[in-house]
Amino acid sequence: MESLPNGDSTAVAAAATAASIPSSRLTHLAESLKLEHQFLRVPFEHFKKSMRANHRIVEKEMSAVISSVAEAADRDMSKEEAVHHLTSLVSRLQGLKRKLEEGNKTENLQAQRCRARLDHLESAGTESLSEWNSTRVKRILVDYMLRLSYYDTAIKLAESSNMQQDLVDIDVFHEARKVIDALQNKEVGPALAWCAENKSRLKKSKSIFEFQLRLQEFIELVRADNNLRAITYARKFLSSWGATHMKELQHVMATLAFRSNTECPKYKVLFEPRQWDYLVEQFKQEFCKLYGMTLEPLLNIYLQAGLSALKTPFCYEDDCTKEDPLSQESFRKLASSLPFSKQHHSKLVCYITKELMDTENPPLVLPNGYVYSTKALEEMAKKNNGKVTCPRTGLVCNYSELVKAFIS
Amino acid sequence: MELSTIKDAFDRVAKKQRLSSSKAQEVIDQVGREIEQALTKMHSVHDSTSSSDQKSILMELNSKLNEMGPLKQLEGSQKELNVALSKYAKLLEKSFNPDISKAYRNVDFDTHTVNQIIAGHFYRRGLFDLGDCFINESGESEATYLKSPFLEMYQILEAMKCRNLEPALNWATTNCEKLMQNRSSLELKLHRLQFVEILQKGTRADALTYARTYLAPFASRHMAEIQKLMGCLLWAGRLDCSPYAEFLSPTHWEKLAEELTQQFCCLLGQSFESPLSVVIAAGVQGLPTLLKLANVMASKKQEWQAMKQLPVPVDLGSEFQFHSIFVCPVSRDQGSEENPPMLMPCGHVLCKQSIVKLSKSSTRTFKCPYCPLEATVAVCRQLYF
Repeated sequence: MESLPNGDSTAVAAAATAASIPSSRLTHLAESLKLEHQFLRVPFEHFKKSMRANHRIVEKEMSAVISSVAEAADRDMSKEEAVHHLTSLVSRLQGLKRKLEEGNKTENLQAQRCRARLDHLESAGTESLSEWNSTRVKRILVDYMLRLSYYDTAIKLAESSNMQQDLVDIDVFHEARKVIDALQNKEVGPALAWCAENKSRLKKSKSIFEFQLRLQEFIELVRADNNLRAITYARKFLSSWGATHMKELQHVMATLAFRSNTECPKYKVLFEPRQWDYLVEQFKQEFCKLYGMTLEPLLNIYLQAGLSALKTPFCYEDDCTKEDPLSQESFRKLASSLPFSKQHHSKLVCYITKELMDTENPPLVLPNGYVYSTKALEEMAKKNNGKVTCPRTGLVCNYSELVKAFIS
Repeated sequence: MELSTIKDAFDRVAKKQRLSSSKAQEVIDQVGREIEQALTKMHSVHDSTSSSDQKSILMELNSKLNEMGPLKQLEGSQKELNVALSKYAKLLEKSFNPDISKAYRNVDFDTHTVNQIIAGHFYRRGLFDLGDCFINESGESEATYLKSPFLEMYQILEAMKCRNLEPALNWATTNCEKLMQNRSSLELKLHRLQFVEILQKGTRADALTYARTYLAPFASRHMAEIQKLMGCLLWAGRLDCSPYAEFLSPTHWEKLAEELTQQFCCLLGQSFESPLSVVIAAGVQGLPTLLKLANVMASKKQEWQAMKQLPVPVDLGSEFQFHSIFVCPVSRDQGSEENPPMLMPCGHVLCKQSIVKLSKSSTRTFKCPYCPLEATVAVCRQLYF
């Protein structure tokens, strides 16, 4: 495990001694912070997006104004015309200034959010760890809600317990919500607009989402028996994709020959409403990729890791302690296809105190082979005239009859 | 990972953004000014007949703008901003694990089960509205069965917050047998708290009656406690000046609320901590190791998906140790029913199979691998953790 590099270690160590966090927890903490890439990346991507969009507006307007002047200089205008022309350019620039100011405000808020999140990560070493951890659980749950489109719950959860709004991505998902709602209503408009907005980045990642949207629109035209319009549509929007995705294109174009009530399985599937659900899933994936989010909800990732780390054959026994999450049926079900954990060294837990039995609290063996911790048995002996009773078998014996076990 | 470095890098980004923004404003102002100058020139020309004046002013404006090169200026500051942006992005990628979903396995991970777990989590935290809203949105109508037991618990706890112990006492009396099985003195503690309340607010006579009715049954097992409480009678209304002043401390209420929650959950067959929080916390501790493992196994996707046991140990804090795991120091096998841990007379413990192997035919003596003492299979005893 890596140790903290010099720069921060003194500050964190000082804070740690103040908060008396043992060093093993410190390393755990440092490692757990490294898992928070999405936490920082999403607002950053949002920030970049706003900046890009605002810059494009400025570039476009400025370039339009300049070329307008150039064009006017070439023409022959009357005085009124020229004055009118220039005045309109001035007001256009004023409008641009206002837009720029507004855009700036948004950018500042987003920069603030990025900073707030960095501050939040920093506070993990200094403020109450249990509170920070419980905020993390909430963040993970909000992420889950947003991914599965449970927006009301996400908002409610974020508002409960006054979690800082800066720590969750609810507004990022607003734009996703519009697209998803439209797709569920069988409309591709907002989705196509989204593709246009993010054209260059989607192209960089070789996304075919726009292609898939266009294909679906084509199929809808065929479904409505608008074959001529479908063909025009294909010519306009699908042909450019032919170079790279000819097979898919041909497959879908063939729906012209089959009608929407075809029984042929290969083509029937293309007409099913399920295709729209598939588009929604595709959009969610593209959206998450664009913002640097993991493709799976954070909750699932942490659950799988935790379940696997906790899973032992003993968890599935009937007398498994209820404190173990894997004693619950739902958790057992989730963990069923996950690998068991592995141990290289013995780790023993006293049946009575639930504490670890190690060199400071060594295990003692009763004459019947049952083992409990020294602490538990000492206390029991003190209260019972040097006698101990095995809580599981009822056997009574003297403390002096106990034997120490040496387990590495 | 140094958060201060990352913060500095972000400050640089923010600075470049401000610069770029103010540059844009500056450029817009400049261009605006030039156009306005041209406008004033136009207005000052009185001769409206010749079009050449307008044209020359326009051409002058055009060349001025070309000289100024506003687009180039904008581009310049934007370039600097982009450099800062990409540096920050690279720093994030370097300092953090860029894709934690690499440790995810594409196995059957049922959304309905996860949703039920979440609903249970909300209900056990007392977030009943949230739980209902979630069940509504997710359509998991069957999960409402988790609500009522915890609803009762929270009603009891809410009453306790208002210093009303009745619901708690009712519950404790109803479940007194199970509480005794768990060796919990919750009932007595509740009565004690109630007794002190009566002593402070009511009369000595009331308190005495209460003691006779409710505390007397506990006398046999908790004599010392009862005696103390009887002593409190002497200071009715003035308990804060008595040697028993600590009975008034509000921490008793908090501790009792916690103990009640513990026992309540226990009787329900539930854990005290939300299991969801426990698994997430375990996941946070275990994920770094699993990510390293996934990295190493990046080229063996099939093995990763299908493995039955993790090939490396995942170090979790001791609070996640729910079971005793015995690992034979010789064979590194985990103890099980078929291969239980055995205690040798010297006090060292090996698994049964290792002992059988060492003794070669289970009748000869063998030497403990850790000390010079010898033993036979017969004197080795099975251990039960």
